Amino acid sequence: MKKSILKSVKKLFNKEPHFKEKSNQDRINLKHRDISTDYDENLEIFKSIFSIPKNSDVKVREFTIRTLNRRAFILYIGTMVDGAYIQEGILKPLIENVQPSRKIEDILSFPVEETKSKIGEITEDITSGNTALFVEGDHQCYLFATTNIKGRAIEKSDNEVIVRGAKEAFNEKLFDNIGLIRKKIKNENLIVEHLVVTVRSRNDVFLVYEKDLADEKLLQSIKKRINSIDSDSVIDLSILEQFLEERPRSLFPTILNTERPDRAVSFIEEGHIILLMSNSPNCLVLPATFWALFHSPEDHYLRTPYGNFIRLLRLVALFISMFASAFYIAITNYHVGMIPPDLLMAIAGTRERVPFPSIIEILMMELAFELIREAGLRVPSPIGPTIGIVGALILGQAAVQANIISPIVIIVIALSGLSSFIISDVSMNFAIRISRFLLIFSAGFMGIYGMAGLIILGLYYLVSLKSFGVPYFAPLTPHTFSAKDLIIRPVPMKLKFRPGYLKPKDMVRQGKDS
Amino acid sequence: MKQQPEKLGIREYIAIAILMAGARATEDTPATLFQKVENAAWMVPILSAALFFIPLYLLLKTMSLFQGKNLFAVMNKLLGKYLGFAVGLIIFVISSSAISFDSRTYTNIIRTYYFNTTPILVLYAILIAICAYGAKKGIQHVGSVSFMIVFWVICSLIFALLLSTQDSTFQSVLPIWGPGILEIIKTSPGSLAIYADFFLLTMLVPYFKSNKEFQKGTWIAYIFVSIQISAAIFCIVCFFDQSLGGLGYPFHTLIRYISLGTYIPNIEIFFFAIWIMGAIIRFTAFLYLNALIFGQLFKIKDFEYLIPSIATIYLLIGLIPESPIETIVHLKLTVRALAGPMFAAISLILWLAALVKGEFKHAKNKNSM
Repeated sequence: MKKSILKSVKKLFNKEPHFKEKSNQDRINLKHRDISTDYDENLEIFKSIFSIPKNSDVKVREFTIRTLNRRAFILYIGTMVDGAYIQEGILKPLIENVQPSRKIEDILSFPVEETKSKIGEITEDITSGNTALFVEGDHQCYLFATTNIKGRAIEKSDNEVIVRGAKEAFNEKLFDNIGLIRKKIKNENLIVEHLVVTVRSRNDVFLVYEKDLADEKLLQSIKKRINSIDSDSVIDLSILEQFLEERPRSLFPTILNTERPDRAVSFIEEGHIILLMSNSPNCLVLPATFWALFHSPEDHYLRTPYGNFIRLLRLVALFISMFASAFYIAITNYHVGMIPPDLLMAIAGTRERVPFPSIIEILMMELAFELIREAGLRVPSPIGPTIGIVGALILGQAAVQANIISPIVIIVIALSGLSSFIISDVSMNFAIRISRFLLIFSAGFMGIYGMAGLIILGLYYLVSLKSFGVPYFAPLTPHTFSAKDLIIRPVPMKLKFRPGYLKPKDMVRQGKDS
Repeated sequence: MKQQPEKLGIREYIAIAILMAGARATEDTPATLFQKVENAAWMVPILSAALFFIPLYLLLKTMSLFQGKNLFAVMNKLLGKYLGFAVGLIIFVISSSAISFDSRTYTNIIRTYYFNTTPILVLYAILIAICAYGAKKGIQHVGSVSFMIVFWVICSLIFALLLSTQDSTFQSVLPIWGPGILEIIKTSPGSLAIYADFFLLTMLVPYFKSNKEFQKGTWIAYIFVSIQISAAIFCIVCFFDQSLGGLGYPFHTLIRYISLGTYIPNIEIFFFAIWIMGAIIRFTAFLYLNALIFGQLFKIKDFEYLIPSIATIYLLIGLIPESPIETIVHLKLTVRALAGPMFAAISLILWLAALVKGEFKHAKNKNSM
């Protein structure tokens, strides 16, 4: 009742703006029509659709097919196709062929991709780099896959650096990315499904999963979510990620974004679903739990004790980067008795001439550290290292000498900042860095009581997070059957089960006898 | 997106039960028991557990006749609409006063030991606000969080008690019977309230996959908690000896005393942080249970929306006593002395009613068919 009143009041004051929009109904109607058999009419229609000759890289080539003695033209976008292909495979045979043949398919050496007759569909094909051939008197158009888009080669992974294991990373070319996955899973059950998300720019999204593993319901819910996106353009996978998340304003990520194909493959084989998009050098893993975001592929490539060692190290780093500064504030402001007397004297001695309360000190240094970090990311690479030296040496040293910061604060901040680099996932890293500030405030407000309260509050929030129906801390709690690969990982021989929270069709990773 | 409510797992339930009932060892229970039976205080939890075992067993047996029904539904079925409501109201009043006084006690502990200058209202309001937030998330999430921290709570308790043994004298438990066997037996029924939480936890039956799982979880937690409390009191008695009689909250005095070697003299903050997390979980679950009872009593389906207002009322009730020690101790002792036997009696009455009504025979016939 109250809500509805509020809503109507809101509506009264917050009217949707109206714009004078030009209707393109004619164009839409045109796209639903079939092409005609008349050569000149076709030429006219497509010239107007592609604004030829204003549109400089759309090429039309008119010629006569000698054997059929019929006029024809091909239409393609010059910057998206391989010119040599067209010359060798399409034009040359058509013009030079002398053997009498009635069918286009028999004349051409280039494989005909398909034939289409709807104007709209043909236009779509041309814009994605195919070449269209129109023959006089034919009621359909021949389309050839001549796409050759320039892009980066497959390179080393930059953001998820590991010592052991495959080095290659996804790039912006979709075909390369799918190829990288196919290379690792040689199985006919690997499905690459195509979906179109937006109407205007027609962004393609590819769902990659194993048919005999992925849960049907999960698949349906993901497709439903993708289809419900109402936007005219989603240009990147990272934007799609925000569209797909259940709580886009949440501090903690619920979808894993990785640029490593080996990682994507390991998730596919567990029964997860991967999303790929052209022009995005990464992939999305759905659903993702806290553990997926916390783990690194290196944990599995290293031998079990070493892998577990770095995992424990990462856990410690997570705690240090979250709690170190807040703990320092709580201890020095509220629970001074905890510090051993000698150390207390030392801290008090260095703080003697510092005019600020310790929370201001910590906040200043945290801010400085974040600035250095962000600046280091954005500066052109030749002067990158210099920024680090300037930041660390000059700022830190000078701040201490100028009695603005006490040396122990530098230690605390350096420790927590360093530790935060160990969390490799970018989103998780941000989540932890931001929650660190919240903890600092709570510690400044209520000491250890405030911190403990905020931790519990945060835990309540985190366990209520869900990623496509999967609780954030599954399979730890709520408990489901799994390989027990959480903080400590067992030896690979014992990793027998796929995660139960995904409800995979096949729970046991089978061995020889099946 | 509306999601299907999930079931409460047995691990999560055990974690909640341990945090709820096990916390008694860290508040004033050891001291009040010591005042009655002196150095035999550690025996009382075990004896009370044995005593409360009978009504709890009968209650669970009665409950198992009605699969997937909670305590109030069973009460309504067996005692009728009006009597069932009356008994339910009594339970609600008792548990409401218990949560108010208990949460006030905890706030007192925080204030006297760690934050002497902070106004009690601030400490109390933070505690209750966090509990209300958690309780509103639902019991499954409370269970998840308690499962994540229960290990650390128990570890820290064991660690603190182990550290305390450095300075304790084991002879102080002698004479083993304290003031005499008769005195211990007389105290035990009055201390049934230690296990009153298990009676309230039967409200959670519909959240389980089956009654069997609930029973299994209850017994595991029951045995664990009785041993935990008894062991904790044993250590505390050994540590304080006769001076325990004059203490309010012995566990907190203990963690202030112990030290980690000579270099780190005070480590109470670690224990306090973990203890307060456990305490928050405890009151969250308690608050949720009370809201659930209230919702059942007055047939409110979406009782989760009541939690903030109920929490505020408890906060206000808890704030009423000006001088906490005097008033609260008296009121609390009365409530406690009342709650345990009352809950035991209700369990027995339910069982008797089921017996008289022939529900057991009925169930048997159904099974044999």
